[in-house]
Amino acid sequence: MQSGLDARHLTKYYAAIPAIRDFSLTLRPGQVLGLLGPNGSGKSTTVSLLTGLREPSTGQILFDGRNIADYPAEYKARVGYVPEETHLYTFLSGREQLDLIGRLRRLPGDLRTRKIMALLDLFGLTGAADQPISGYSKGMRQKILIISALLHDPDLLILDEPESGLDLAASLVLRHLIPILAARGKMILYSSHVLDYVERLCAEVIVLHRGRIVAQGPVTQLRAMMQRESSLEEIIAQLVTTVDPAGAAREIADVVGQHA
Amino acid sequence: MTPHEAAGDRDLVRLLTRLFLRRLVDHDVISPHADRHESLAVLYALTVSLAVFVTFFLSVTYLSAFIQLPGPAALSALSDRFLFIAASITTSALGALMVWDALSLEPRDAAILGPLPISTRTISVAKLAAAVIFGAVLTIALNAVPSVLYPAFLTLNIGGTRGADLLQLIAVHATTVTMAGLFGFFAILAVRGAVRLLVGEGGFRRVSSGLQSLLVVSMVTALLLAPTVRAADVRGWIGVPVEARWPARPVLWFLGVNETLAGHLVAETPIVPPPRFLFVDIPTNEDRAARVAYRALLPRLATLERHAVLSMPLVIGLALATFLWTNRRLPERSAGVPAASRMRAIARRIAERCTEHDPETQAGFFFALQTLTRSAAHRTLLAIAVAVGLTHALMILAQSGRHVFEVHSPPASMFAIGIMSLLSLLIGVGYAVRVPAAPAANWMIRMTWCGDERRYTAGVKRAAIVLVTVILVLLLPLHLALFGTRIAVLHSLFGLVLAAAALDLLFLFTRTLPFACTYVPIENPKIVWPAGFVGLLLVTYGFARAERWGMETPGKTIACGVALAAIALGVNAIDRLRRQERRPINFEGRPALATQRLGLFEHVTTHD
Repeated sequence: MQSGLDARHLTKYYAAIPAIRDFSLTLRPGQVLGLLGPNGSGKSTTVSLLTGLREPSTGQILFDGRNIADYPAEYKARVGYVPEETHLYTFLSGREQLDLIGRLRRLPGDLRTRKIMALLDLFGLTGAADQPISGYSKGMRQKILIISALLHDPDLLILDEPESGLDLAASLVLRHLIPILAARGKMILYSSHVLDYVERLCAEVIVLHRGRIVAQGPVTQLRAMMQRESSLEEIIAQLVTTVDPAGAAREIADVVGQHA
Repeated sequence: MTPHEAAGDRDLVRLLTRLFLRRLVDHDVISPHADRHESLAVLYALTVSLAVFVTFFLSVTYLSAFIQLPGPAALSALSDRFLFIAASITTSALGALMVWDALSLEPRDAAILGPLPISTRTISVAKLAAAVIFGAVLTIALNAVPSVLYPAFLTLNIGGTRGADLLQLIAVHATTVTMAGLFGFFAILAVRGAVRLLVGEGGFRRVSSGLQSLLVVSMVTALLLAPTVRAADVRGWIGVPVEARWPARPVLWFLGVNETLAGHLVAETPIVPPPRFLFVDIPTNEDRAARVAYRALLPRLATLERHAVLSMPLVIGLALATFLWTNRRLPERSAGVPAASRMRAIARRIAERCTEHDPETQAGFFFALQTLTRSAAHRTLLAIAVAVGLTHALMILAQSGRHVFEVHSPPASMFAIGIMSLLSLLIGVGYAVRVPAAPAANWMIRMTWCGDERRYTAGVKRAAIVLVTVILVLLLPLHLALFGTRIAVLHSLFGLVLAAAALDLLFLFTRTLPFACTYVPIENPKIVWPAGFVGLLLVTYGFARAERWGMETPGKTIACGVALAAIALGVNAIDRLRRQERRPINFEGRPALATQRLGLFEHVTTHD
């Protein structure tokens, strides 16, 4: 039995409209896989399928060789997820939110309290730990989401724009944390628009466009495919951008400058 | 400011008012994900049908009389109008309480509108305009149909009523109830503004939720008590020397407005029998006596009218002034309620100790308590449930004041006070658990869900038992005064066991996860709610009678206790047995579409 995550020929329809078509990926322990694509390319749908929050219309997702649809609770117990949107229970405090998550993850009392206090401290949230989340900034909420995803030491981490809203310090910590977790055998799927991060963190990337994979493989391989020494940003621009960015920028500036 | 700038400012206020109104309706009144048109239609249909039902119910005597005499009609209309005015005040006040947090500038307003070049004054004026329009539309929508129907029914069999008189009666009734409704709405706005002014923004954040709950309990209690007010009470309150209790006074003020403006139209109508009753002996003496009694009330009604005329601008002025003053600056990002108090921390530690080895039970327990006490929607549901129990208690106690009972043999209705309070609270909890704590955050529970709801649900039930205990402790002084120590303690213990059994029964058929699944409304509430209410009364009074019997001798007490414990254990065993079979939780249950509920789709398919 091959350990890791295997998504096979996933397709997801909303009504009759396909959000993703024939999507496959393989993620092994210690691997960091980048998921890239413009807005509306199907990244969020892919992530929701891989977390088990939605079911694919066709295709299957195997984790350690078993279909996750057959044992969803056990699968979710091994997954940590940071969603793109920071939806939390805003009437709870940060500590209460993490306590709730820890309890539902069946973490023993002492261990849970110790981990929560340490992680709150390391993410610089100790001072705000007992304030309701309704008063938190976007970055503070994002930190709570990241701690929630890490609290139970998951085998698979699915991160959707995890750096969104984080301050510089937390952002740097995250950038260092991901390779450390990967080195400890975690599987990490990293979906982001910040190509600089993805290029630094991910050995391999998948590029989605209009629900289909348009490129997949190590960044070096993509460079070879494009037959030039490009940055990842330039490669993605060539793969998925249908407009001339410089020209569009000039046109935007012209419209902004109109006064009559 | 130039005229051009002033016109631009007015346009901006109009635009922002529309924005605030839309958000009030879309986000604060109905769920952001719901179908706005369907939700509003259902809400309005429910309100109007209830109003029409009440109007018909009150008008049965007028509609069924062959000849309605003006004098008695004018007198009996006093208590009807008292009910209409009370309903208008309390319902409009409840409307204001429903959108409590949106009744001032919020951090989200500051986040969206703050960066734009719009003055804070413009934003706060628009917010105020949206709140006032909301209150006015709510009041008019609520009162429009009864304002036409009631005067029409009242005068249908009063032969001498002219068309113009009827129109004037309708206009005055509509004006009075609308004024009363606006009074209720602005009174809430004024209370909110005054408290915020007195305790400051930080202090208001601390007391806001408690104040809202207290006002909801008061208004629902007042609304439920209004139909119990008898015609004789109203006449007694209007005529001196019987002084009305203060909650009834504003209602009497507006009654004074109605009677001063249009009371004479009914009371002074000549008796014109229909042609087929020309030779029937009409009891004119009774009519004359009623007219004399009514006329005697007119000076006092005029005084009451003056109270209304004075209080209305006072309340509106206070509401507007406090609103504009407290909203003269955009709010900063809310720092929320401060850290948990020491007492709360100690209570939390005790609760953790009691459920130490079971994190899922702890999760259910704490999350239930946090949601029920902090989420606005859940708090409101609990406040309504508490108000039902309180109304029942007040009614029983008011009746007992009229018939003094023996200390050693209290009537069953006295036992029913506590039972009704507990059961209505539990029904409130049972309903509240079906409402998600925050629909957008449901993903979090789904991701952490281990697939077995039993321990989490057990925690939720324990949280409900904590609330039951709080109610029992609050009722204990009353029970001690009514029953003495021995019976009061036994009654509380029996109440606790009954609550445990009722809780298991409430959750027996629930296979959703409390606070974490999408809300699916009850199908056919027209049957379920009245049947549930009758069931609640039967269980309450059935158990109260059994308990009263059980308190007669120690032997009967033991028998009663054993029977109750057996019922509780039996229900618990059935619940455990049912939950042995594992079933997947449907986190995203949805109600059927309107076309499916009405069978339209099926109909079309069949005929095609």
